[in-house]
Amino acid sequence: MYRQGWLGWLFVAPALLLTCVFFLWPLALVGWMSLHNWPLIGRIRWIGIANYRAMLNDPIFLQSVRFTLTYAAAITPTIFVVAMALALLANGDRRFVGLFRTLWFMPTAIGLSTASVLWVWMLNGQVGIFAAIGRALGLVETDIPYLDSGTNAMIAACSMVVWKTAGFNMVLLLVGLQSIPSELHEAARIDGAGAWQNFRHVTLPLMRRTLKLALFLSITGSLLAFDQFYIITRGGPQNGTISMVYWIYNNAFSSFRTGYAAALSLVLLAVVLLASLAQFMLFRDREDA
Amino acid sequence: MSRNTAAWLYYAACLAVTGVFVFPVLWVLICSLRPAAESALPPAWIPSTLSLENYETLRRVGAGLWRYVGNSVAVSVGSALAVAAVAALAAFGFSRFRFAGRGVAFVLLLAAIMVPFQTVLTPLFIVLRAVGLHNTLLGLGIVYTTFHLPLAIFLMLTAMGAVPRTLDEAAMLDGAGALTVLLRVILPLVAPSLATVVLINFIAGWNEFLAALILMTDQSNYTLPVMLVTVTFGYMGTVDWGALQAATVLTMLPVLALTLCFQRYYVQGLVAGATKG
Amino acid sequence: MKRMIIAAALLAATSLNAHAAEIALWARSRTEGYVTPLVKAFNETHSDKVTLNLIPNEQFVAKLGTAIAGGTPPDLMSIDLIYVPAFARAEQLTDITAQAKALPYFDKLMASHLRLATFEAKLYGVPFSAEGSFLMYNKALFRRAGLDPDKPPQSWGELTAAAEKITALGDGNYGFYFPGNCAGCNVFTFLPAIWADGGDILSEDGQKATLNQPAVAAALAWYHDMWARKLVLPSARTDGGENWTSSPATGKVGMWPGGAFTLAALKRTAPTLDIGVTFIPGAKPGQVASFAGGDSIAIPKGSKNVKLAWEFIQWSFSPEVQVEILAKNGAVPVRTDLADNTYTAQDPRLLIAAKAMAMGRTPYSFVYNDLFNSPQGPFLRMLQKGVFDGDVSGAVRDAQTAFTQIIDTGN
Repeated sequence: MYRQGWLGWLFVAPALLLTCVFFLWPLALVGWMSLHNWPLIGRIRWIGIANYRAMLNDPIFLQSVRFTLTYAAAITPTIFVVAMALALLANGDRRFVGLFRTLWFMPTAIGLSTASVLWVWMLNGQVGIFAAIGRALGLVETDIPYLDSGTNAMIAACSMVVWKTAGFNMVLLLVGLQSIPSELHEAARIDGAGAWQNFRHVTLPLMRRTLKLALFLSITGSLLAFDQFYIITRGGPQNGTISMVYWIYNNAFSSFRTGYAAALSLVLLAVVLLASLAQFMLFRDREDA
Repeated sequence: MSRNTAAWLYYAACLAVTGVFVFPVLWVLICSLRPAAESALPPAWIPSTLSLENYETLRRVGAGLWRYVGNSVAVSVGSALAVAAVAALAAFGFSRFRFAGRGVAFVLLLAAIMVPFQTVLTPLFIVLRAVGLHNTLLGLGIVYTTFHLPLAIFLMLTAMGAVPRTLDEAAMLDGAGALTVLLRVILPLVAPSLATVVLINFIAGWNEFLAALILMTDQSNYTLPVMLVTVTFGYMGTVDWGALQAATVLTMLPVLALTLCFQRYYVQGLVAGATKG
Repeated sequence: MKRMIIAAALLAATSLNAHAAEIALWARSRTEGYVTPLVKAFNETHSDKVTLNLIPNEQFVAKLGTAIAGGTPPDLMSIDLIYVPAFARAEQLTDITAQAKALPYFDKLMASHLRLATFEAKLYGVPFSAEGSFLMYNKALFRRAGLDPDKPPQSWGELTAAAEKITALGDGNYGFYFPGNCAGCNVFTFLPAIWADGGDILSEDGQKATLNQPAVAAALAWYHDMWARKLVLPSARTDGGENWTSSPATGKVGMWPGGAFTLAALKRTAPTLDIGVTFIPGAKPGQVASFAGGDSIAIPKGSKNVKLAWEFIQWSFSPEVQVEILAKNGAVPVRTDLADNTYTAQDPRLLIAAKAMAMGRTPYSFVYNDLFNSPQGPFLRMLQKGVFDGDVSGAVRDAQTAFTQIIDTGN
């Protein structure tokens, strides 16, 4: 409709410029750096694929991959079950339900790092509320030993993440729930289905798309986890909660091995893209069926 | 089970859930108002007296509280407005013009959605140094702007696509140029989407931690989340729990207030962002 | 783009306006106690100004590295002496050999600092503050447990026995405490136990890991024994250093290792605590050792004003500063000729701190952070696995492998 097509370039130019300088350039640089011994300070040296070979001899890297995948596998279903329960409670138009929805959604707006600090305080043995409740109930002697074992540390971090993200996932699921025509539930009930059967055979199948979407978001988010492990567990105990991003950060800015960190970044990128691809395939298959 | 019992059970469950979600926020607010001397003690239900001591301490932390608040406001407001402006321009360009290389440019801009910024953080630091923006709030703001662009362009494109072209044409018959059409005709019509873009990007910028942690080396350039974590990791041997509570409250409150006031826009933005794929 | 140009113009304008000389000093937050008054005193007596940038301990290396790599180094920096080799080797520090050797009291400066600041026969830093590690004990608890408060333990066995008696008091009292999840703290306080027993973890030049020496396993087994017999405050396992002083401050801990800053913090937060001080023992009576820690001060390459930076350094060596600021605020003077002063006369414990410092040792390594201080490093992993999990031989084996690998990749 606008005859001077070239004018379009002018409108798109600022966005393109930013993307080229601050996204494409760094992206290309990641690949280039990964082929160098590139200390944060000091001399840069070409070393070919040595950084990639070094990964195989880096026990913490292997552990971080394992841990990140475990974390994604643990947190995703947990968020789901909680969010689904919330969505079922918040579905409908009883009195106050809107208020409840708002309040449950509220932690979503809090930053992950802020929420992590909040939980560090609540989990602390001397000043935290959990230890105080535990002592009052006689469950713990002095403090909550949440850094005693990798499992406990994981539970502590997951509790925070569920608290922060369940409300958002509830909203996503509500969108799906509300798109199911009520006649379907009605029909199922007339056919003699109980509440559970109705949920299992009507609600869940019809929400497949929403569920997969939430699943995808949760998995991608978990693969990039950093704040909660940097702040709440500090990677401990015994390096049991070092995520991939954490290990990249550590190599680049604590060990000053920027080249190696770049190689790790590319592995992370590959993992994230693979996860996206898998999710894409999953979507298509089911849609065709 | 009678109708009444069911209702009771329902509301009991809802209240219990509400307690879990709201309690940490309320609790830290209450505790932050205790006198500083009490903040290192195990929690008591009611503070003995209300006091702003912890906030006073915070005013003197590092480069001073107001500096950090100012940094956070500058970066998050600045990047949110910049994202909205740049995305609106780009979306207008894509939806109203046919130009050579349009497809390539489009794919390029949206490809960034697939690449999480965590993976390019290390070189990003080097790029910022090369353009002389290392350790500056402007640099951090530009990084936020760049990485929030794809989603914003997507949202604006959807909104502008829904505006009938006949409106453009009518305005042009009146002698308006392309920019005037965008500013006077289209933007007012897509104002809700624009507001959504500004809101979600403000909150995202306000909350961002990792990039700010890495890219800001000078403590007078820290944003609130970095300052908050700095207080946590604080001084070996003494974490000032009172200051930590006060800092948590100050970092949380603005975004919570915004969410409560503009919940509809925020939810819309997040859901649209989630469903874009 | 326009905003970038404006920003550049603004930057240029501000640097043109700055005629009064001003330099930025970076220090880690743990040194706040004496650095803040020191900088204040300098600014009050000089027309040129020093601005202090305190960085949280755990982020210090990361921040400093990024600032230097980003082309915005501080003009002057006070860094943990152990990091000087790495920064010197990376060619990031100004050679100050000539100025330093011209100081009349050069041979009185802390030897450990100078050894670590020397790279290829050039000097890149001088001592700024000193910390020796030693053992502290609660005299009141010693009395209650029937121990002689003037006869602190002289060996591992005696320490364990004393811890047993104190723990036996019950009521939440424990014999021993150490922040078991803090890498840097235990490098400072646990390595001396190994040294006292005649062992070491690195070769002299730092190029070989020697963890398979028996003293390493013996020291780990000693800590593990105390932990397994519940003579150690249970929160030791997870303390990342936050409760290093607040735990003994409760008055329920019998003995704990630390440094002059621990003592200073306790004097401030728990003034009624009656604290005794002695050396960190070895396996046999008479064996003692200490870690010579503290900060070196160095001028990064790219410092805006090397002359003013050196002026500040030289000023910091003056007796007024060493005694009236460092010693007064609980730090050990870095000039050994000033170790005996009015403040040590008031509190003889500080003399023990100074003696500990003088006999202290420090490992030399270019990859010190990765080996020792990093919370993800093999040293902390060894301690956790050996002491708390009780797998001493496995811990030592893993650490030897990891140390060797890190040293090799660091070259």
